[in-house]
Amino acid sequence: MAERVTRCRALLGTFVEVTADSGQAIEHAFDTVARVDRLMSAHEPGSDVASINRFSHLHPVEVDQWTALVLERALFWARESGGAFDAVRAGKASLERGLLPIHDDQPRPEASHWTWLEIQGRSVQWMKPGCVDLGGIAKGFAADRAIEALRTAGAECGLVNAGGDLRGFGSQSWPVTIVDPLSRRPLAAVELCDGALATSALLDGQSVHLPGRDGRFVSASVRAPSAMDADALTKVVLSGSLHSAQCLAIVGAEGFRILHDGSVEAVEMEAADA
Amino acid sequence: MSKLGATWFTILPAAAFAVAPASASATVYLSIQTAQHAMFPGASFVEHNLVFTPEQRKAIARASGVGSFDKVQRVWDVRAANGRAGWFIVDRVLGKHEMITYAVALTPDGAVKRVEVLEYRETYGGEIRNPAWRQQFVGKRFGSQLQLGKDIRNISGATLSSRHVTDGVRRLLATFQLLLRNG
Repeated sequence: MAERVTRCRALLGTFVEVTADSGQAIEHAFDTVARVDRLMSAHEPGSDVASINRFSHLHPVEVDQWTALVLERALFWARESGGAFDAVRAGKASLERGLLPIHDDQPRPEASHWTWLEIQGRSVQWMKPGCVDLGGIAKGFAADRAIEALRTAGAECGLVNAGGDLRGFGSQSWPVTIVDPLSRRPLAAVELCDGALATSALLDGQSVHLPGRDGRFVSASVRAPSAMDADALTKVVLSGSLHSAQCLAIVGAEGFRILHDGSVEAVEMEAADA
Repeated sequence: MSKLGATWFTILPAAAFAVAPASASATVYLSIQTAQHAMFPGASFVEHNLVFTPEQRKAIARASGVGSFDKVQRVWDVRAANGRAGWFIVDRVLGKHEMITYAVALTPDGAVKRVEVLEYRETYGGEIRNPAWRQQFVGKRFGSQLQLGKDIRNISGATLSSRHVTDGVRRLLATFQLLLRNG
């Protein structure tokens, strides 16, 4: 097998690392991540997400197939988690705290949760002005698409780490260390094979993706087949939602949380199947 | 559905974190030379370092809104057979807890062609005090390529912001406007 190399670029507002046995495949993977960034960055005035937030309350906005896919999935997890993951509530909070720019013609968001956003095919519409932020799911989607790009380009193994959302493939496993978000102390280790692992943490004790969260946890990690689902599910698990175990089960995922004292707790189904 | 006992993760014992002399842990992705040839294949590179005067530093800080940077900027004038191919700049930024060395490729007229992280160094971090983690570095010499996944464990934790790099690129574009554009 060819020697593996790792490259790193600043994309999606974080650092994206791609490891593979082919330099050319790595280029394709970064092109893919850059495309996700262009489509789904709420910071770029020309992105699909910015167009939705600027114009979808006036008329339906046609978005790229990738954006539609991620929006559909964001709404799916909002529904399944009873709003524990909510890209609309997160977007409104981000805008109000000045974490997102207000673009030209962009109305003040009134929609406070996901049910005000409608998507049909590739057509997106607000029932009243709103602000959606896909920052809690798009990194995972980018990792999935980047892995697909690596495979298509002929790589035999690969790992993508998009700001802590990891997806790997290949015959051998990838060792991953999960660190405490504050001290960066290693807390747990996972061997990642074909699949994804995502971690979400509360860096400053707060997150716009976690309204009304349970205050006991500082970090949550989820292992799932796709990084997009793992990414979204970390917010559900970190919020302490009662729907956590149920949501994980939908896609055959598993999760654990790190508590303030550094202890680690697995997410278990509360009702035994016996 | 309960999977008690079937653990897919290992909890690392707190006892493993004995205090040891801190040594910075760095990930090296690319050497300067490898980055140059990846960004400008077949070109030649003439080193053209900028030693800023205090006035120039002030002007760059004003133009970019970024005040803290090195006094010498490593710049290469990139030449191809048919003239200038662009500029290659190596810069570093200090984040909250990390030092990042990165390279920027500019077109001859100063548009960003590519940004590539060369080295990422955590300036603090519990992992370096963890003997098991540090053990991974044994046998690595200065300059040897560290391969993530194979040699060094990948880290999944808090999302790291790349804002410092974005600010750095903005400062380099101001530097280009003030000092390289007519160079």
